[in-house]
Amino acid sequence: MNLATIIRHGPEISDAIVSFDPVTLQRRPVKKADILVQFRELRNHEAVRIVEQMPELDGVLDPAAVDKVLITSHCEMQRMSEEFQHGKRVAELLKPILNALREGGVNNPIRIVDIGCGTGFVIRWLAASGSLGDDVQLMGVDFNVALLNEAQRLARIENLRCKFEVANAFRLAEPATVFISTGILHHFRDESLSYLLQQHCRAETCAFVHFDFHSSPMAPLGSWLFHAVRMREPLARHDGVLSAVRAHKSRYLLDVTRSAAPEFVSAIYGMRLWRMPIPRVFHSLVGIRPKYHEAFLSNMGTRVASLGKIE
Amino acid sequence: MIPVFLWLLATIDSAFIGYREAAGRNALIDKRAYYRRALIRGAVVGQVAVVIVGVIAAIILVNSNDAVALFSKLESVGARMLTIYVPYALILLITFLVRAVPSVDIRSITSVLIFGPFTFIRPIVVLAGAVWGVLAAPGAITIALTLLIVCLMLGLGGILSWLRSRGLIS
Repeated sequence: MNLATIIRHGPEISDAIVSFDPVTLQRRPVKKADILVQFRELRNHEAVRIVEQMPELDGVLDPAAVDKVLITSHCEMQRMSEEFQHGKRVAELLKPILNALREGGVNNPIRIVDIGCGTGFVIRWLAASGSLGDDVQLMGVDFNVALLNEAQRLARIENLRCKFEVANAFRLAEPATVFISTGILHHFRDESLSYLLQQHCRAETCAFVHFDFHSSPMAPLGSWLFHAVRMREPLARHDGVLSAVRAHKSRYLLDVTRSAAPEFVSAIYGMRLWRMPIPRVFHSLVGIRPKYHEAFLSNMGTRVASLGKIE
Repeated sequence: MIPVFLWLLATIDSAFIGYREAAGRNALIDKRAYYRRALIRGAVVGQVAVVIVGVIAAIILVNSNDAVALFSKLESVGARMLTIYVPYALILLITFLVRAVPSVDIRSITSVLIFGPFTFIRPIVVLAGAVWGVLAAPGAITIALTLLIVCLMLGLGGILSWLRSRGLIS
């Protein structure tokens, strides 16, 4: 993908080539021609080229072929997450939150639900590390059955204590205590982002931590370079770079969150590194109920320096 | 010593080529054994490349009218190549030492500032070292041998991927 030709608007390919009924979660057929028209109108020639290569059955994108590409892409994304220590990063931020919840008397078990978990890297990493405590249940949810089957297969091989479910994260039989996600927020624009955050406002939910690319002037270049050297799958390269380009600004995320989920106090973690304005790959939107706020700050220790103003 | 240094660098480089070729293909969490195999595989395939270059160089030297002068030429090319490759390798080595610090931020920075960009510029460094080396003793033999080395250095990842696509490695 040429850095100069990145299209800043429009969907990522992985968003366009799959479709799910939001109520039944059933997969809907995606007409290849419709996707091609959409990307042509956006003048996203790279996306057109990639979608053109995808097999179709009677004009509909072959779901098995699409799933294969998505699983490969998630595997390559996991490599990048591992390089950037993402599992450990998530654990480091979750620990002070979980301790604050325990100190505040939250009933066991504490359920952590990863929204749009894909092949479940973060949940599996947390389960493998065992660093969050035995009173924590780990669950990944996604709409894509193939990705979740792969997550379950991988978890079984390593005998990990975690669950994966095709479900709407906000309609689980056992509701989440803490919602987490990685690389999800930028997929939601305007009203849909607000709606996503509104859904956190339920009695059982005490906190949320959403990691996404840190929007900075250097992010598109950095993302392009890393995807050029680390990714093989053209879709992963395309979407990875576009993700960094489309990442929400920190201020915007905070404004939307405070308006959509006023029951929580929120802040951005990871805006600064060692109190210096060094751009970071990921930042995270942290929200916690006010009653746990002081304990959370206290548990953060020196890491509190990387936390923006929480309000 | 120059051939030994070149062999050492080639072995380390090919081991990391093995690592990079294997990365992003296995989604398990604990991949220590997988990566250990990949590093060893890369280093072994690298030895094949070294042997190919060594055998061709030996044949040329044996058939040369003045083997001593030709060997000296090849050594001067190798010495100049090292002036490019050794600093590159040293920076990476130092970065690995920094990455040993158990800090998420420090480890991420090593990737952002060094590992990512240095992987990106590796082909340029390979070519720069080759050109700089050949300039020490331009000639048909030195150019041909250097070209062979460059092709092997840049083609090793592709060879490993080809072996994988044939199911010969996993």
